[in-house]
Amino acid sequence: MIQPLAIEVSNVTVAYPNGHIALRDATFTLQQGTISALVGVNGSGKSTLFKAIMGFVKPISGSVLLAGKTVEESRKTKLVAYVPQTEEVDWTFPVSVWDVVMMGRYGHMNFLRIASAEDKRMVNESLARVGMTEFKDRQIGELSGGQKKRVFLARALAQNGQIILLDEPFTGVDVTTEEAIIELLRALRDEGRIILVSTHNLGSVPEFCDHVVLVNRTVLASGPLEDVFTEDNLNRAFGGVLRHFHFESSTIQDHDGKTVKLLTDDERPLVFGKDGHLEYKDRFGREELVKKRKEEVGE
Amino acid sequence: MTDLLTPFEYDYMLKAILVSGLIGGVCAFLSCFITLKGWSLMGDALSHAVVPGVSLAWIVGLPFSVGAFIAGILAALTMGWVKKKSGLREDAVIGVVFTSWFALGLLLLSLYPSHLNLKTIIFGNILAISDPDILQVLIIAGISIIVLTMKWRDLLLYCFDEAHARAIGLNTSFLHFLLLALLSATAVAALQTVGACLVVAMLVTPGATAYLLTDRFGKMLIISTVTGALCGVCGAYASYFINGSTGGCIVVLQTLVFLLVLFLAPKHGILSLRKLRRQTTQTMPQSRIEKSGCAS
Ligand SMILES: Nc1ncnc2c1ncn2[C@@H]1O[C@H](COP(=O)(O)OP(=O)(O)O)[C@@H](O)[C@H]1O
Ligand SMILES: [Mg+2]
Repeated sequence: MIQPLAIEVSNVTVAYPNGHIALRDATFTLQQGTISALVGVNGSGKSTLFKAIMGFVKPISGSVLLAGKTVEESRKTKLVAYVPQTEEVDWTFPVSVWDVVMMGRYGHMNFLRIASAEDKRMVNESLARVGMTEFKDRQIGELSGGQKKRVFLARALAQNGQIILLDEPFTGVDVTTEEAIIELLRALRDEGRIILVSTHNLGSVPEFCDHVVLVNRTVLASGPLEDVFTEDNLNRAFGGVLRHFHFESSTIQDHDGKTVKLLTDDERPLVFGKDGHLEYKDRFGREELVKKRKEEVGE
Repeated sequence: MTDLLTPFEYDYMLKAILVSGLIGGVCAFLSCFITLKGWSLMGDALSHAVVPGVSLAWIVGLPFSVGAFIAGILAALTMGWVKKKSGLREDAVIGVVFTSWFALGLLLLSLYPSHLNLKTIIFGNILAISDPDILQVLIIAGISIIVLTMKWRDLLLYCFDEAHARAIGLNTSFLHFLLLALLSATAVAALQTVGACLVVAMLVTPGATAYLLTDRFGKMLIISTVTGALCGVCGAYASYFINGSTGGCIVVLQTLVFLLVLFLAPKHGILSLRKLRRQTTQTMPQSRIEKSGCAS
């Protein structure tokens, strides 16, 4: 019987050799054909959860099942592809874009790893899908942040991974590339794969994810975006770290109405009011400014 | 003119030249992985740590290379163990472990002199290499070359991205051990050519040279191996004329090639980088450099 593709994490507790328990009793399930976000602050255990799914750390209790099989059993099927964090890669390494994408095929090759026509076709196709064909002979360090990400995404495609794990894919990526990557992830989801994206970048999550797993040293909540992405849950996941911009207590005034612009790179939002006024988070200490604005509109 | 051919009239010179070339090539092949994996210090450590094995092998009556190889592997395992148990930084662990092994080797060799004397082991003496020892070197080099040509892609992936290698089912613990074993084996083979002190140069310099010349790993392997082999051959040959240490000649030659490349390499060389920088500043209007022209 062919098991449907799914990730089932049950009561997983992971401890590092130094005794630090990075995850305690984590449980969630992801079904085929979803893009899921793994959301949590830095140090909440996102990468650790990835490592558990890939079998790099062995949980001291609990189990991880991929399509019904243990991680070790499923490794032979090359089910899981991993797109590393940009900082994890040595960009000075003398390998080209083509070489890196070809590494996705190694698991499918014979003992000597000599590329077959099929391997080359898959590499070409994967490069074309991420739009990196014209860069195939570039050394990997000579690429922009977004291009670097796309190369490793192409490697995951070449591997034909059905479960694709992306660690912080949007850090250091420009907005156009981010959109291109999201577009591609949607297409991959529609092919029935499971995409799991770790991020601490809240704003992008509602844009493209249909499922959310909130972590803070355990799984706080997991489920469809609308159910999980609530202010209450996010406060629990991010604690005091979350930056708030309450419009009613900011320098934005009533007469600004709905013509507020909010710009953010998911650090602090940069807010411009009506007529392009720069707005501040607190009125407190800015009474002068508030008064001046009032006078300007003659209130 | 005929003077230039005299080294080839001596059997011992001919052997020295060929063995140096072979060792130079094998070490250079491996050096591509060592430099990229960041194991240069490890190479130095292992080449010293094999010394007690030479002595112990002699005492039990085994071929010296077997003893040395085992000592190298044991030293590497000790380093891994000490690092795990102590939580010290890697360089400190390497420093502690390899000096202890080397000291043990010195002690053993001074108490129980083997067929290779201390000076040969530390500084090398390829001119006096015996035929059985040549045979050992040939076997080690042969096996290393076969393994490397078959497995270089796996080793490359392991050095570049261990997580991915594991994810697609490569046995990374095995690859780690394989690289250590190859490192030990080549360190043993190079022992008599250049001596324990200089082995690390053979295991690092050619790879570093090739790295500056190309952006493709396949090419790097070829450039490195050819440079290593040529330096081995030419260094041994030149040592006849200047009547100096063969190991010294080979390594000095490798260093000269490295320096030459460091300055002149087409893309990563110091001169072309400087030129590139000058061109970029020149294309920017109103830069001071533009006004002063190419005066430098
Ligand atoms: N190899 C390790 N050894 C010990 N502790 C670790 C190790 N890797 C991560 N940790 C700890 O585990 C916790 C979770 O880390 P991680 O999973 O990397 O978080 P995230 O990816 O969400 O930022 C952190 O407190 C981190 O310090
Ligand atoms: Mg992380």
